[in-house]
Amino acid sequence: MIIAEQKPLDEILEMISGVERLLVLGCRGCVAVCSTGGDKEVGVLASALRLGRNKAGKPIKIDEETYVRQCDPEYLEPLKQDGENYDAVLSMACGVGVNFIADRCPDINVLPALDTSFYGANLSSGEWAEMCAGCGACVLHLTGGLCPVARCAKSLSNGPCGGSVGGSCEINKDLPCIWHQICEKLTGRNQDQLLREIVPIRDWRPSGHGGPRRRIREDLLP
Amino acid sequence: MISGSNLEQVLTSGQFTVTGELGPPQNGNFDVVRDKARILRGHVDAVNITDCQTAIVRMASLTAGLIALAEGVEPVMQMTCRDRNRIGIQSDILGASALGIKNLLCLTGDHQKFGNHPHAKGVFDMDSIQLLGMVKAMRDDKKFQCGDEIKSHEPRLFLGAAANPFADPFEYRPIRVAKKVEAGASFIQTQIIYNVEKFARFMEIVRDLGLHEKVYILAGVTPPKSVGMARYMKKFVPGLDVTDDVIERLKGAKDPKEEGINICVDIIKQVREIPGVAGVHVMAIEWEQAVPEIVSLAGLSPRPGAKSVEPRLRSSEAIELIVSEAKEGARAETEKALEQAKAEAQASRDLVVKEKEKVTSEISGLKRQAEEAKAIAGEKATEIERLTAELAKAMAGQGHAQAVSGLAEKGESSMLSSRERSVLTSLRSGLEALRKGLGINEDQLEALRRFFEAEFLLRMDTVPSKEAVAPGEKPAKPEAEARHKEVVNLVAKGNVLLHKNDAAKALDAFSKALAIEPKDQKAGEGLKKAREALEIAVPAEEAAGPAVPEGVPPCPEGLSPEEWQQKWVIRLVAKGNVCLHKGDVDGALKAFMQALELKLDDEKAKAGLLKAESGEVTPVLVPVEPEVPEKEVIPPFPEPKAVPVTEEVKAEAKKEAPVPTAPTGIKDISVAKLPKETMSLSERAGPVQKDQFTESYTGIIREVSLDEGEKALTVGGASTLPFHLFEGDMPHVPRVAYEVLDSEPEDWPDVLGKYYSDVSSDPVAWARKCTDDYGAEAICLSLISTDPNGMNRPSSEAAKKAQSVIEGIDVPVILWGCGNAEKDTETLREVTNLVGNRKVCLGPLSDANYRSLGATAMAFQLPVVASTPIDVNLAKQLNILLVNLGLSLDQILMDPSIGAIGYGIEYSYSVMERIRLAALTQQDEKLQVPFICNLGREVWKTKECRLPSDAILGDQERRGVLMEAVTASTLLLAGGELMVMMHPKAVALTEALIKGMM
Amino acid sequence: MNNNHQIGRIVAFCCNYTASVATDTLRDAGLIPESLDVRKLPCTGRIEVPALLDAFEQGAEAVFVAGCRVDECHNLSGSRRAEKRVGYTKKILKELDIDPDRIEMFFVHYGETQPIVEAVREMTARISKLERLHSI
Repeated sequence: MIIAEQKPLDEILEMISGVERLLVLGCRGCVAVCSTGGDKEVGVLASALRLGRNKAGKPIKIDEETYVRQCDPEYLEPLKQDGENYDAVLSMACGVGVNFIADRCPDINVLPALDTSFYGANLSSGEWAEMCAGCGACVLHLTGGLCPVARCAKSLSNGPCGGSVGGSCEINKDLPCIWHQICEKLTGRNQDQLLREIVPIRDWRPSGHGGPRRRIREDLLP
Repeated sequence: MISGSNLEQVLTSGQFTVTGELGPPQNGNFDVVRDKARILRGHVDAVNITDCQTAIVRMASLTAGLIALAEGVEPVMQMTCRDRNRIGIQSDILGASALGIKNLLCLTGDHQKFGNHPHAKGVFDMDSIQLLGMVKAMRDDKKFQCGDEIKSHEPRLFLGAAANPFADPFEYRPIRVAKKVEAGASFIQTQIIYNVEKFARFMEIVRDLGLHEKVYILAGVTPPKSVGMARYMKKFVPGLDVTDDVIERLKGAKDPKEEGINICVDIIKQVREIPGVAGVHVMAIEWEQAVPEIVSLAGLSPRPGAKSVEPRLRSSEAIELIVSEAKEGARAETEKALEQAKAEAQASRDLVVKEKEKVTSEISGLKRQAEEAKAIAGEKATEIERLTAELAKAMAGQGHAQAVSGLAEKGESSMLSSRERSVLTSLRSGLEALRKGLGINEDQLEALRRFFEAEFLLRMDTVPSKEAVAPGEKPAKPEAEARHKEVVNLVAKGNVLLHKNDAAKALDAFSKALAIEPKDQKAGEGLKKAREALEIAVPAEEAAGPAVPEGVPPCPEGLSPEEWQQKWVIRLVAKGNVCLHKGDVDGALKAFMQALELKLDDEKAKAGLLKAESGEVTPVLVPVEPEVPEKEVIPPFPEPKAVPVTEEVKAEAKKEAPVPTAPTGIKDISVAKLPKETMSLSERAGPVQKDQFTESYTGIIREVSLDEGEKALTVGGASTLPFHLFEGDMPHVPRVAYEVLDSEPEDWPDVLGKYYSDVSSDPVAWARKCTDDYGAEAICLSLISTDPNGMNRPSSEAAKKAQSVIEGIDVPVILWGCGNAEKDTETLREVTNLVGNRKVCLGPLSDANYRSLGATAMAFQLPVVASTPIDVNLAKQLNILLVNLGLSLDQILMDPSIGAIGYGIEYSYSVMERIRLAALTQQDEKLQVPFICNLGREVWKTKECRLPSDAILGDQERRGVLMEAVTASTLLLAGGELMVMMHPKAVALTEALIKGMM
Repeated sequence: MNNNHQIGRIVAFCCNYTASVATDTLRDAGLIPESLDVRKLPCTGRIEVPALLDAFEQGAEAVFVAGCRVDECHNLSGSRRAEKRVGYTKKILKELDIDPDRIEMFFVHYGETQPIVEAVREMTARISKLERLHSI
């Protein structure tokens, strides 16, 4: 899922400094699952913002709402009407939701409440880690299912660098060296031939360096 | 060889190799890199130049590598994937290759987190192995990473990579080395080794994989500087295995630094024993001083001499060194050549003396012979008379007359006929003796012979025995006679033609003669000679072909046919002039004719042709062949060309001209007249005798003419020290030329620049302003735009600009190059080609380009500026060289190099004074030429002319003007004849001074 | 939570099993000041951050949560959760530049009243040192 993190409150307060009527709009998609932008987080944020504004002597009227998703057009439909009642809509969706509102509801002043971070998995309650870089050219079949693009600090293609010690990455002892793990896994599966082959230079276009990406599935097109 | 780098050569030679490491500074300090390189030079075979190691911003490895290279230290450029993508990396590699870098170490690079910019975006477009593959493909397949072809000059780099035997997983490390080798690494440098035992195990696997045979492995070592450093490395540097033993050794050491070096040396000795280790990589970052000691203690000194370490770019110091060495070499060579030339001259002088003696004795011998021959001839004449008388008597006695020839033809033998023959024979031999003795030439001899024979035959005819002649022979005789005459005439003509070098016509004449009289010996000989002459002439003509080609060669690119033809005409005229100069009338005729063929109305060519036809040939000053004894050429006594009257008239006319109105902001540039001293010195001297205050001079300064026509100037001619009019004559007043730059002046102070600000971008308008507004008598056009260190305007472009200036004004022009000998030659030649008709003055000619520019000046008969650096002997030497080249001293102006007042003017003054005294009192004729003083530029670049007006130094403009005027007056007093100046007011002051003094 | 409810200067969220017993006892004894607004919860583990923030929003100068001792929680980990939420709220307050000492978690043994008295004293002492969050 997409992992995001709420922006610091002062940054959000700064963002809404001129706003008198605000809608804090959550999303029940990824950000709800990673406890960043669901109903609960909407409540907390709205409350915190009111408190902050009260303290500053500039009370604000904040309404709270959470949509099923902010990245599908049908769920955004009500916002086209409701949005008119607010000076700004503070979206607690990932960056996709903010963009999509901006695209679909051009008259609405949409603001981001979150910093969208990565594609991650929930390691345990309250802990998420990056597992995929969305590079558009998956090599996991060559690396025992462990992604060196997302999980190696240097996105190496051809084995661990000289900084790999005791299974840890050189940049942080708490970070596992993914190449160490790949080596162990492939060796254990008698797939070490994969470690001897030179992986050629990547084509980074599918990862976004070729410009914004778009996917089309013809059979579903209207 | 892959790249032929020193590192590659040492490694392939099998020697135990040593590489070092040089960390560029975190600033732009050139000296730091240079000094480090100097410490390492000679102690290592190559030096790694790190690429922002530990992700700290430092001077680029390429740049620092080039500095090292310039110091003669071969760099191994390090390249990481952290900071550049494939575009940047390949671009840098091309640059590195272009500038002579031959080794590349391919690294992934430390993560930016460790450096001083942890917020940076790491690029990591590829990893080290992919980098190796990419560079190898660039080198071996001549392909960029994208697959495009590198059409030429692919980067040829000796590739290396790093390996860390102490990183995990241990078993994978040799495999990764294998990948690097497969990708293209030729050598591997390892992480710092302290744990030799683990490294040995690593090497064991490496050998098992056979890698030691495919790649050179250099073991990385570092001397630990202190216990603290060792502990730090152990604790904080990932993948660095510092053993406890090392830490203990350092802890116990009295001098940890020394112990650190010992530890390093011990490790080197240990790893050297491990099979497959090809060398060591000594990393003593920020402790480069330790490297020589380590290398020496490890028994690895001396290193083989660095081969093929050739920097493409050099530091200014290195350049200075090379230049000074080259200068030294050139000086030595010149001295040697001078010595040789002196010796040769002495030898030829000796030869001449000998030849003279020989010739004298030969002449006296010939005289004697001639007298003897005369006496013999006298005897012979009496003999002839006697014989003639006898013959007549005999013929009369015999009663019938017969022609001698007739008798001979009939083959009748008689006493008389044999006598006749002997008479003729003796007649001929007598004549031959006469010819030898008296130096009678063939024609005269022929005439004499014919006279005698005619006389003889006439006498025969007078004998009344005509009827005795056989009737059949009768008509034959006059015919034979006529034929004979004809033959004789033809032979004589042939000989004359041969003399005139017209072998072809001579051949014709001789052939005709032989057609009439096939047996004629003279004609036969002549024919042979003519043929020989022709054979010699033809190849000579062929050889001369390219110099005087028949037609115009194909027009080169960038020139219109008209321009090219114009150039060619000028060249031909020049060639003609040279021929005339050499006395080669035919050559001159040919050149001028060709020029006229190309351009019917070319005045120069016409004039030249007339000269050549009239045989008006400039005397040859330089002996063409060394054997010919050197004739003492007495320079023609200079006659003043300009009549003083006209000079005065001109001066008057100038005075009448309205004083130009000053441009904005100028008060007035006109100057009050300096009152003249009306009382002569002798009057003022009163009772003092004239001989007590006058000096007599034996030398006279030559006159040099600038340009032709109405506005022509002549300088020089003085027969006394400057302005000593009571002692001698100064027929021509010193002159001032205005300096005009051919590009906008960059650093002129405003107080000067404002006079030309409206014209400074257009040299033509500028020059016109000088002549029209300020009354300039001459213009010195400075071709500063051509300076290769400055604008570096192409010669052709600058020449066109100069042409427009020269053609835009009618006063004489001095062309002053940028001072770069080579460029000036090119530019000035180009200008002379464009303005062949104008007698511009070329300068500066230095010892570096006097030959080429001197030849140009000679061809176009242009005056030149001989420029030397403030030295009497150098000035004289350059003049001698120019004269030897064929220039006349009447073409030379001396530039002794000028210093402004306060900036060495005393040296200029002293040198000029000594030159002038030598010229006037010691008859040093090579120094008897006028001075040109290019002073304006010297004055206006001084500090004093640039400081603004203030209470102490006063008004800036007044200060500058006075600096320039006082400099000029000083130089005038030193003997300067032609001043090149800038500020109109300073010029006005100087001219007022000159007028007042004359 | 009723917005119309008159809120005192200190809001106390109390566990129904432990702290509320104590507050009731104290109230009966007239020892609870008027300014203390006691809100009973079935378990402090039920408390959510917005409720804590709301209390401040509604005019509280200080808030505390009084739950069971960690090993005595009727719902096993309720009071521990409450402690984390108080911590989170402290973080938010800090971000809003409000002294995080205005909120605190207290653990109370069943039947004890003294800890509540201590808590009220403590919080009163804390806010008396701080500038008022809300004007009266």
